[in-house]
Amino acid sequence: MAIENQEGTRFDLHTIEYVDYKDVELLKRFINEQGKILPRRITGVSGKFQRQLTRAIKRARHLALIPFVADTVR
Amino acid sequence: MATRNVYELTYIVNSVLSDDHIKDIVARVNKFIEDHGGDVLETDEWGTRRLAYPISKRRNGYYVNVYFQGGGELIPRLERALEIEDDVIRYLTLRFDSKMQRHYETRSHEATRPHGQAIVPESPASPEPEEAAEEEEE
Repeated sequence: MAIENQEGTRFDLHTIEYVDYKDVELLKRFINEQGKILPRRITGVSGKFQRQLTRAIKRARHLALIPFVADTVR
Repeated sequence: MATRNVYELTYIVNSVLSDDHIKDIVARVNKFIEDHGGDVLETDEWGTRRLAYPISKRRNGYYVNVYFQGGGELIPRLERALEIEDDVIRYLTLRFDSKMQRHYETRSHEATRPHGQAIVPESPASPEPEEAAEEEEE
């Protein structure tokens, strides 16, 4: 699975060992306006990171730090 | 054979209660942990924040973050007690693994603490959402 577009690849995330569910600033970068988790082919992260990210996002949703569903156009 | 694990508990308290009442609840949770053979390592109160979605018809909640050490049998009792408590509307208990342990030890968990969007209740000074350190209860 080659990552085709170079712009999507994020190299600085290799330094993050643990994706904290409390880190709303970080998590917000990986959800879209509807609150959905962005797929790897868009964000270009590694599989390992994506798994940790998903776990963190779902925990954050449970604690109402980020929404399950967010409508931008009201 | 007492396995002492480190746990992280984050819970949301009903924010319409008085400060004293909230302090009382936090103290009671900590006391519960201590009474059942646990040691509270750190308590971090984030204060009142806007919820991303309404919980029990409420839009704001008072977040508390606790790190403690204890045996495994403490956790079901603690969660049961939180479940019974009407004023605790959400909770999440996690057991530390090695990654979380390192994250905690390098103090980077303080950087990941939610900033901004905190509702500072009628403070005369200008609101300072970036000053996460000042969010602690006086």
